[in-house]
Amino acid sequence: MPRAVQYKANSIVYFQGDVAERIYILKSGKVSLNYNDIETGQELHELIQTGEFFGVKSALGRYTREETAVVLSDAQMVVFTVPEFEQLIMQNTRIIMKMLKVFSNQLRRIHKQVRNLISSGKESTDPESGLFRIGQYYHRAKKFPQALYAYRRYLTYYPSGKYADEANRNIPLAEQNAQGSMRSSAPVSAAPAREELSNAAKAYYNAVSLHSQEKYQEALKEFQRIASDKADQEYAAKAAFEIGRCYFALGRYDECIRHLSGMIKTYPKHPDLTDALFYVGSCYEKKDDIPKALGFYKKILTMVREDMPIHRKVKKAIAAMGAAS
Amino acid sequence: MSLDLSMFGRFAQTYQPGDIIFCEYEPGDTFYLIQSGRVQIVKIMDDIEKNVDILQPGEIFGEMAILEEAPRSASAVAIDKVVALEFNRANFEILMKGNPQIALKLLKLFTKRIYDQKRRFMILTLDDIQARVADVFIMLAETQPADDPDVNERIFKTTVDDIAHWAGMSPDKCKQILQHFANQRRIELYEDRIVVKNINDFGRFVQSRRRNQQVE
Repeated sequence: MPRAVQYKANSIVYFQGDVAERIYILKSGKVSLNYNDIETGQELHELIQTGEFFGVKSALGRYTREETAVVLSDAQMVVFTVPEFEQLIMQNTRIIMKMLKVFSNQLRRIHKQVRNLISSGKESTDPESGLFRIGQYYHRAKKFPQALYAYRRYLTYYPSGKYADEANRNIPLAEQNAQGSMRSSAPVSAAPAREELSNAAKAYYNAVSLHSQEKYQEALKEFQRIASDKADQEYAAKAAFEIGRCYFALGRYDECIRHLSGMIKTYPKHPDLTDALFYVGSCYEKKDDIPKALGFYKKILTMVREDMPIHRKVKKAIAAMGAAS
Repeated sequence: MSLDLSMFGRFAQTYQPGDIIFCEYEPGDTFYLIQSGRVQIVKIMDDIEKNVDILQPGEIFGEMAILEEAPRSASAVAIDKVVALEFNRANFEILMKGNPQIALKLLKLFTKRIYDQKRRFMILTLDDIQARVADVFIMLAETQPADDPDVNERIFKTTVDDIAHWAGMSPDKCKQILQHFANQRRIELYEDRIVVKNINDFGRFVQSRRRNQQVE
């Protein structure tokens, strides 16, 4: 049975490096998780909200604790063994969904950090070039059905992308060869039937490609069309953010500020909210309105965790302004 | 784990051997649960197709795309005739509600992936490239615990390219370092395996480098 436990202020629930066996939920009081950023070694603190679980990842995976859990003011929590916890969440998938979201976020972040370290010095690959190069790789390796798959997917997402002409030229070649190889080796089915990409999604990826080719005017027009055509809410919201990026790239700072401010009001939970605020801040900086720029940058710092890339980006921007003034 | 997936039959997709299920860099918002056949996860790096993993029935892949949208970080290719249930974000929640076991499995999978990536990151933060290669062996040793903890010699069925991949350096550079270790008689290089004579010696070496780095 899960049991309620009281902790006095300044006591430790567990130390970093301890063998993990228990999972906790905070009922009242204040608990901080202290850990070192894996990139900088800097010590970070994360306050646990009341009602929040902690110690989950290490206990579920049977790893040692990554952080020290310190009680800041007298606290009450409920302690679960792993089987007790599993039993609880199996009856409440909402909790699992919430945790999956948190973990997925962490996973993305660490993936990005690893990628940054590996690609330092080397040119990083944007998804558009990456996808086309996979087609080329399979083509060279004479794996024609696979090459066809990659080329076709490329054209689905980026019909006017920078490699579209080349992909269109390569497809008939690969098709001929694929037919030849079909007779001799394992049967190759047509690309498996799958949900076709919505038109809004196609248009969106195409416009992203235009933006990466620095064709900002054309990209802007496309994004505006997607945003005003409300057929697909998801892509309309994504396009709204991209319009701001286009304005910024075009040096139309006033329009950028106006547009992104509008976006923030329309989509207060937009996934790119903090990036949008950063663009607004940068626009003010470009316009030499330092107090306003600072205001936006500082606002972002209150919204994001210390170990998120945007946090560092903002800190850097603030430091640069301080040095300039 | 027994799962009743009969109600999810309409999500089943069939792939022939060699079919790409999804391709690296492709945007994607679906994930898959293998019902039969094996799936190979590959990445194309430096013009070589690298095997990342081979997955068996009951395993999940493509899971990172469910909650956040980003390009696929690797390709999934059918090895055999594969039947897999395909879920998108919309029916993901239905699946989770009907099958909390899958949700729990996914949660554990995420935990493992996060730890694996963090461990990999630790290797890459080492400035000393020799220590980085040594740390790859330590990581590999952690994932395959020894039968007898008193034996220091460890055998790894791995290639220079794999070690280079984990250590984040070119295969040529990695080969040089491995050759250097071989000259010091700390390792033995074979076609199909690498023998580390004393894994604890590598452990101490990496630890001291890591400490020095923190002092600086």
